[in-house]
Amino acid sequence: MLAPFPRQDATTLADDGDAFRFCSTCAFSQACLDEGMDKGGLRDLHMLVEHTGPLHAGEHIFREGDAFEAIAAVRAGTVKTYMIDRDGREHVLGFFLPGEVIGLDGIDGDRYPVNAVALDTVMLCRFSFPKISVLATQLPGLQRHLFRLLSRDIGRAALLAGDWTADQRMAAFLIGLSRRLAARGFSPSRFQLTMPRTDIANYLRLAPETVSRVLKRFQRDGLVAVDRRDLELTDRDRLEELAGPVLRS
Amino acid sequence: MPSLHSMASQPSFDAELLQRYDRPGPRYTSYPTAPQFNADFGEDALRAAAAASNGDPIPRRLSLYVHVPFCMSPCFYCGCNRIITRDLSRGETYLARLYREIALTAPLFDRDREVIQLHFGGGTPNFLSPAQLGEVVDSLRHHFNFSDSAERDISIELDPRFVDPAEVAELGALGFNRASLGVQDFDPAVQEAVNRVQSVEQTLDVLEACRGAGFRSVNVDLIYGLPRQTRDGFARTLETVLQVRPDRLAIYSYAHLPNMFKAQRQINEAELPSAAEKLGLLQLAIEKLTAAGYVYIGMDHFALPDDELARAQERGGLHRNFMGYTTHADTDLVGMGVSAISHIGDSYSQNPRDLPSWQVALDEGRLPVFRGMRLSEDDQLRADLIQRLMCQGEIPVSALERRYLIDFDDYFADALGRMQPLLADDLVRLEDGVIRATSRGRLLLRNIAMCFDAYLTPPAVDAVPRFSRSI
Repeated sequence: MLAPFPRQDATTLADDGDAFRFCSTCAFSQACLDEGMDKGGLRDLHMLVEHTGPLHAGEHIFREGDAFEAIAAVRAGTVKTYMIDRDGREHVLGFFLPGEVIGLDGIDGDRYPVNAVALDTVMLCRFSFPKISVLATQLPGLQRHLFRLLSRDIGRAALLAGDWTADQRMAAFLIGLSRRLAARGFSPSRFQLTMPRTDIANYLRLAPETVSRVLKRFQRDGLVAVDRRDLELTDRDRLEELAGPVLRS
Repeated sequence: MPSLHSMASQPSFDAELLQRYDRPGPRYTSYPTAPQFNADFGEDALRAAAAASNGDPIPRRLSLYVHVPFCMSPCFYCGCNRIITRDLSRGETYLARLYREIALTAPLFDRDREVIQLHFGGGTPNFLSPAQLGEVVDSLRHHFNFSDSAERDISIELDPRFVDPAEVAELGALGFNRASLGVQDFDPAVQEAVNRVQSVEQTLDVLEACRGAGFRSVNVDLIYGLPRQTRDGFARTLETVLQVRPDRLAIYSYAHLPNMFKAQRQINEAELPSAAEKLGLLQLAIEKLTAAGYVYIGMDHFALPDDELARAQERGGLHRNFMGYTTHADTDLVGMGVSAISHIGDSYSQNPRDLPSWQVALDEGRLPVFRGMRLSEDDQLRADLIQRLMCQGEIPVSALERRYLIDFDDYFADALGRMQPLLADDLVRLEDGVIRATSRGRLLLRNIAMCFDAYLTPPAVDAVPRFSRSI
């Protein structure tokens, strides 16, 4: 049985790397190795891949305007990215689960354009590199890989800006999480919603009460089973049907 | 033929067994129990717990509890937190702080979390007049979001000596729809010995008034083991009560602990029934109630078969909290007033038990948190297990394995070891992947629960009788 997020097991969180070898679950290893670059080689280019954390709920990984230093893969926990608008209101931009990379949108400039904060106890793998130009000349393949990851993030956020119903947004959110967790070796059908209701609501551009109303209705109709933070997708087909238009766009 | 698989089948009374297993232990109205709460848990921790509980995708609904500590007259058996006074103005002074507590507490919870249950306990809640109680209900309705659902309960404990039928009607008009009446025993000799002289007429008038006011259910509290109680006297009390057929009955065991409870020092120990006589009173109660058609819910509580507690138990929907058995599963409990206990998210918290400390905190604009604790995942698992045992008389092994992702036999190897003697005595059986109390074990649910209590020291000894005691 696959571990339901956020529980870890050997397939989702390995700690078997060292100064020379990537961990077997490393988010960066494949792209680097494809470039013929191992950890020793990275070090020679002043690029460091190292474990950091734990960060606790509420601690920031970086803030909007901080000088860009590194990207990071989430190893454990959940990270939220957000911006504050001119009226002081928070806008949730996304959630990052284990194996997903934050800081990519700072790569092309000097500064991080968003805030990243830990929602619970977070462990990271930090990939620091002093200059984008080093990537561009030495590891163009890796740079392309990172930009691909970035555009996927941007695409994901854009989906929810469309004219979708609350049900469609919620279903898309749940199916999206399910697919992302499955890709990282977690159970696709049962997981915890580690992000609080208000953040989910903000992200989906719904009121918090609406998030709950939709989930209560989904539960009543047999699509999900909710037990505190624990969520089980009990009618995946129906949820995929609702989510389809949103995720395909 | 009652099925062994139904908790609704009646408990089997085995005097020798009950005697052997009779030892002090928690009633498990919470797990962990209140002595585990610590003073490190303060206002910040409570606010954090409330915020976290708002973060659930479907935040839980709310049950409210209001404690009214005043009593006009001291009953000698009482071990509750109470203040004896006839000065009604103390009620007004108390309410002034209570309103402040309500105003400070309600904003902690998201507005869409509806209140499905409100209970007044004490002390004597009817120390306050119906008008005063109405004001409290109004204040709560204003600050919280009360559900419009038909299943919403507003209940109150009543002392029939200090409330009249007209007042009960007023309570009904205010929205109260359940009541619990203190009786204990109608035998005049017993009443005199415990300083609670209360006529049958007085009591039945109040009970009829509750029914007339449309109360959904009325509970009667009795106590066995009181001074001067006799089999005949208690039999008459039971017969009198059964004639009016209350929807629920609670038959509590008197625990004589004069070192802990000052009022009990006024009870003459020589007049207390012996252990055997006391067990005989319990047996009598079980026999009479069973014959009258009552269903044993658990932990001293009985209900008529069409009472919603009995029906909830039948379909597995019974729950238990500080206020006793309830049909309202999975709510957060918000306790207000001196000594009140709350259960919010994965935390417990308690208000100060002395009036001055509670008052000072509120006068200073602080939430009056005295102590509490955050439950670990192990705490939550054991709490869940004990809850299901107390309500359904069984431990649903596979359901717990699924919910908490454990291997039950592995995780609870110690507890199962402690449970061996209880298996040998046929208090529990292992059937179809479920650990089930037998009809003999149904009166000893507490002892079964103690096997799984991680806070009992030394755990191996407390749940199991050391040796047989001669009667």
